[in-house]
Amino acid sequence: MDFDMGDEVAALRLELRALIDEHIPPDFLGAFTDDPADLETAQRFCRLLADRGLLCMAWPESWGGRGASAWEQTAVREEMWAHHEPRGAQYMGVNWVGPTLMRHGTPEQQQLHLPAIARGEVIWCQGFSEPNSGSDLASLQTAARRDGDEWRVSGQKIWTSYATMAQWCFLLARTSKEERKQQGLTIFLVPMSAPGIEVRPIASMIGPHHLNEVFFDDVRVTEADVLGPVGEGWKVVQEVLAFERVGIARYARCERLLQWAPSALGDQWEALPEELRSRWAQMLIHARRARLLAYRVVDAQHRGQVRPGDAAAYRIAVTTLDQESAEVLVDIVGLAVLAGDDALRFKRAVEDHWRYSVSATVASGSIEIQRILLARALLGAS
Amino acid sequence: MNIDLSEEALEFGRLAKRALEAAGGDELAQIAEREPDRRESLVGPVLAELGAWQLDPRDSADELEAAAALCRSAGYWAVSYPVAERLCRPSDLDADGLVVVADPAPAAAVGGLDRRWAAVTLDGRRSMATARPMAASPRRSAFVVELDLESVDDAGASDVPLGLVLPCWTLLGMLDRAVELARSYVREREQFGQPLATFQGVQFQLTEAEVERVGLEELAKYALWSIEAGRHEALDDALALRLAAVEAAERVLRVAHQLHGAIGFCDETVLSWVSRQSVPLRRLPLGLSGTRAELTRRLGRRGLTGIFG
Repeated sequence: MDFDMGDEVAALRLELRALIDEHIPPDFLGAFTDDPADLETAQRFCRLLADRGLLCMAWPESWGGRGASAWEQTAVREEMWAHHEPRGAQYMGVNWVGPTLMRHGTPEQQQLHLPAIARGEVIWCQGFSEPNSGSDLASLQTAARRDGDEWRVSGQKIWTSYATMAQWCFLLARTSKEERKQQGLTIFLVPMSAPGIEVRPIASMIGPHHLNEVFFDDVRVTEADVLGPVGEGWKVVQEVLAFERVGIARYARCERLLQWAPSALGDQWEALPEELRSRWAQMLIHARRARLLAYRVVDAQHRGQVRPGDAAAYRIAVTTLDQESAEVLVDIVGLAVLAGDDALRFKRAVEDHWRYSVSATVASGSIEIQRILLARALLGAS
Repeated sequence: MNIDLSEEALEFGRLAKRALEAAGGDELAQIAEREPDRRESLVGPVLAELGAWQLDPRDSADELEAAAALCRSAGYWAVSYPVAERLCRPSDLDADGLVVVADPAPAAAVGGLDRRWAAVTLDGRRSMATARPMAASPRRSAFVVELDLESVDDAGASDVPLGLVLPCWTLLGMLDRAVELARSYVREREQFGQPLATFQGVQFQLTEAEVERVGLEELAKYALWSIEAGRHEALDDALALRLAAVEAAERVLRVAHQLHGAIGFCDETVLSWVSRQSVPLRRLPLGLSGTRAELTRRLGRRGLTGIFG
């Protein structure tokens, strides 16, 4: 066995950390804050990564990537999420919109979208959830009807991250009513500038720009914007969700914050109740456990194996870790007097982590859905 | 990266599982409890024939991994024999096995065996250990006896990670079995006209156990690799594994018992035997709180080695 990712991955981590040190302000807590400078920072950083071949390094060379190994991709996910995702919303384009277009897009769609994603110039949002279709996504109502050579889309999406700033929407809409609700769904690549689209931000505790409603009022979409076969969008969405389930390395931010705590607290660390330091130690183990479960999924995928039970087990472990570690960290911060730049940065990062962690067991497939998937893997269809 | 045991080690584990099944499987623990004098003869010769005692887990990564796979198989059948402890024997002491002990009352599940034991404390103090006679029946004691220690040296630092990690592989095998038994039971048992497995409340409990089990499996491989690679954090990794193992055992066995209902306590179910055989592994050398306190003390402010530590 060998759990060392090797020298190349270690060098890649150092390169990424050096770039973050140099180009990301130390107070950066993500691209989507009230300060527009944070979004600009992320956009600039994406272009910088793109120039160095680091933005889409997982992509095949034919699309401007460098065919990075599964472990290099893992290291990028870890470093970016641990440092508050300085790519901003780009991880969506890079991690799953791009790969999905490579598999299902027409040559024209690929030419239109892939170079723009690879250059870090475009933001995508995902039009999946609706007010009455959350976990039961296939029951969605937003409809696209044929109108001559075109389509007309009407309906409402919700919880749409980055919709206020996105140029394109990866939209799932119903194009026909069939026997099964998973049938008759189609994916459209919709420019957010299309007339009839209205975005309304939803104020929330996880931060501005994260959640929005998107209204489609008879929006005109062309045949060229249909991705994959009409009526077979559900299969494509299953792929997308699979990409997304291993896409975010939540454990990496948890580990970074947990490891940061003693130095941020300085001499006050030893004065913490032993019970709290014990919980901290336990969280470090849980962070390692979630990381190793992610590696189990990555390793299987790399060998061409699909193990839905393992992906679900990882998601249950990592989302639970996100919330439990946030509680421990908030407890630690609450018992210390934090002063000085580093300590205050730690405190703000913990506070941000705690607020964002409330969404961990809800976003991208709730923990209940993960439990259903894992139970199915354990028990079959019973 | 290579995150799996070698194919040879896995094959050795499968062979051991079949050999132990042929030797009695689930009945091994039951016979040992009924007839404690047969504790050695029930399992020792089977493993000797497999070549288990020729394995030197300190000698090579291959042998260490084979030893881990063997412990897991022994755990699966909940064999009432200190397989991991015998595999950990030190090469420079005249001992058949090694147990990790903690003050103030060193003890190990080695009762009823005519073997020479070495003991090591978490800070590396080695002793020769003499097992006291069993003060209670195996049914009550699970063969745990107190040990009298005669100090040898302070050279046991490298014994401790191995002595902690291999028994965790035995415990992992027990949790494999507990989850398998629970899965099988809820598919068969019907209430309200349908199998228990169709109730979401039952399904969700099972998923909680499974997440603990697979998480422990990964940590067990990691801690084994840490020994293989000679990392100086091997003891931290071993204690982290032990803490996770004890925690996982508590959760998995609680779920398995709950899903079995009252039948799970009864001697006629395998779960009852797996559950009681797991107790010494969970309590010795330190239980949940003791292990957590020791790990926290060791980690101090440096944390666990990982991406950011």
